[in-house]
Amino acid sequence: MSPNTQPGSTGGEVSSATDGRGALDLSVRLGDLELQNPILTASGTFGYGLEFAPLTTLEQFGGLVTKGLSLAPRPGNPPPRICETRGGMLNSIGLQNIGIHAFLDDVLPGLADYPSQVIVNLFGTAQADYVALAELVDAQAGIAAVELNVSCPNVKKGGIEFGHDPKMLSGLVSAVRSATSKPVIVKLSPNVTSPAELAKSARDAGADMISAINTIIGMSIDTWSRRPRLHTVRGGLSGPAIKPIALRIVYDVVNAVDCPVIAIGGVEDVDDVLEFLIAGASAVQVGTALFRDPQRGPSLVDELESRLAEQGYSSVSDIIGSIVLPTPRDEEHP
Amino acid sequence: MGAQDVASGECDGSGTAVQDVLAEVLSVEPLPLPYYALHLKVPAAFGVSAPGQFVMAMASPSELRLKPFLRRAFSVFDQEPLEGATNGERHIQLFGKIIGPGTSSLAECRPGDEVAVLGPLGVGFTLPSRGRAALVAGGVGSAALLLLQRALSERSVEHDFLYGGRSTVDLAASVTFAELARRSGGRYLPSTEDGSTGHHGLITEVLAEGLAESRYQHVFTCGPEGLMRAVARLAAAHDCPGQAALETAMGCGYGACLGCAVQMVNGEIQLCCKHGPVFDLAEVSW
Ligand SMILES: Cc1cc2nc3c(=O)[nH]c(=O)nc-3n(C[C@H](O)[C@H](O)[C@H](O)COP(=O)(O)OP(=O)(O)OC[C@H]3O[C@@H](n4cnc5c(N)ncnc54)[C@H](O)[C@@H]3O)c2cc1C
Ligand SMILES: Cc1cc2nc3c(=O)[nH]c(=O)nc-3n(C[C@H](O)[C@H](O)[C@H](O)COP(=O)(O)O)c2cc1C
Ligand code: FES
Repeated sequence: MSPNTQPGSTGGEVSSATDGRGALDLSVRLGDLELQNPILTASGTFGYGLEFAPLTTLEQFGGLVTKGLSLAPRPGNPPPRICETRGGMLNSIGLQNIGIHAFLDDVLPGLADYPSQVIVNLFGTAQADYVALAELVDAQAGIAAVELNVSCPNVKKGGIEFGHDPKMLSGLVSAVRSATSKPVIVKLSPNVTSPAELAKSARDAGADMISAINTIIGMSIDTWSRRPRLHTVRGGLSGPAIKPIALRIVYDVVNAVDCPVIAIGGVEDVDDVLEFLIAGASAVQVGTALFRDPQRGPSLVDELESRLAEQGYSSVSDIIGSIVLPTPRDEEHP
Repeated sequence: MGAQDVASGECDGSGTAVQDVLAEVLSVEPLPLPYYALHLKVPAAFGVSAPGQFVMAMASPSELRLKPFLRRAFSVFDQEPLEGATNGERHIQLFGKIIGPGTSSLAECRPGDEVAVLGPLGVGFTLPSRGRAALVAGGVGSAALLLLQRALSERSVEHDFLYGGRSTVDLAASVTFAELARRSGGRYLPSTEDGSTGHHGLITEVLAEGLAESRYQHVFTCGPEGLMRAVARLAAAHDCPGQAALETAMGCGYGACLGCAVQMVNGEIQLCCKHGPVFDLAEVSW
């Protein structure tokens, strides 16, 4: 903790620095989506939020992104579904979820008590599924935005086709765009040659924001049994191991589109958060880190606040996109 | 080992509220390799565990390690009030077998080190109030069964402790298990595949004999999956109800990652960390 901040101060409210520089503003504005701070949960790593209220301080998150929701409940893939890898993990959960109706009826009302914005992560196997989902959430006051998962590597017929084909993606995004007035976030796959191109297609079709990245397809083998360590053989890699790749993609996307970008991938500590913000992301989602440490979200908010205060910032927005690129002179001395 | 009796939770198998605490290592008790007992001091806020409940533990939590990267699941082996505690701290024990980076990182702890402990987690054993029980442990699976032994003793339920391993070394902490079984009026029945202790062969052969004599009204098991599958078949063949504490790979331990899927006979998928780790033998699709 820097001496300039109050330990335990809640991130979102404007909290006072004691050195006379004034208040440090952690809030960020992503188009119509206002967040009390730039730290969100990543889809699929924090259930539907409420289950973990006893384990963390939900109200300290800028936003809560739900597990991917489909029209009907899904049982997911057979076990084994996860395995640890160096500095990360592979998963092939297969988008197990309770279905949108159970979420709206049983979970959403309980989330209303928290100041964190609720973002629903949606997926389907056909464009009509996404449209129907978007229509269902449109009237729900407790939902701040929708995030379209067009990038899950773990279902044979899932959103992934949309995430790989610019034409299909723009068709999908414009259909969803006309089905809801909520901000639409499109979550990109890293498993393509140029995520930035897909970001452009999504943006041109009406996406309000881009989030990136989903997991990177990977594999692991148990050398004792010689069996793949996941039932599905391949799975999605997440955790610190993927951060440099995520950072590169986020940076490319920021440069390709004129809308806010939400960074995802391997966030572990406050430096990771800052790297993404400096690269131009307006907010970050924390995923796998929550498994090791369910309190990681709130502690990141506190650390971000003290680090920004220590560096003399008065607002988190001042650091967003502040990357200092090499000048031609620097390039002469590699 | 040899902690004294403590109140061991409620009988429906679910315990107190989950806490994520920093525990202090009191000692790492070396048992014949690769086994060890980790003695931890947990703050008073950390709940009392019901038999079969577990924790997610991680050594030196303040540094990010690449391997082990995630926490590891451990049964709460034993628990007792801490002698001389000033703030209600308690003593819990984890019983480990070094097989990889997670179990070895905890074995390498020194007194005074910090270990992050999340728990108590999951739903433990449902306790019978009469009849005789067989507790069937395979190696370090015995870690899930000591609190169960204590709880059965409190309810005056007689039980045999069937302890199987490859060799004598795999019957770690056997003195404690044997004593509790005998005190309940039951037997301690070890087996080793190399014949170095007890029955020469598999522990399921010992169980089969007891079941054939209609000696047991309940079976409880924890160990390698193959053992638990065999126990499930035997119990079903003798119409004997039973429960198993499963050791599915876990990402989080608290229901967030959906990684610990268990396939059930009725086609459903359940979460080992949330609906288990203890399941009815007849309901799991082995
Ligand atoms: C609810 C629950 C309770 C548990 N309680 C306990 C407990 O009390 N004590 C305990 O010790 N463990 C317990 N476990 C098991 C423990 O959490 C896992 O085994 C854990 O993965 C060990 O982590 P590791 O990093 O040491 O080994 P990992 O690297 O995660 O896993 C070991 C892997 O090594 C390989 N391997 C290593 N040696 C061999 C070999 N000789 N033959 C075949 N394969 C081999 C296998 O691939 C195996 O999957 C429990 C698990 C659960 C789910
Ligand atoms: C167990 C698990 C489940 C996930 N489920 C989803 C999901 O349902 N929908 C989705 O869009 N992304 C899902 N993801 C991807 C994450 O939201 C995130 O994009 C990815 O894990 C990278 O971030 P991280 O390194 O911080 O975990 C999942 C990730 C994990 C580890
Ligand atoms: S281990 Fe994460 S849901 Fe069970």
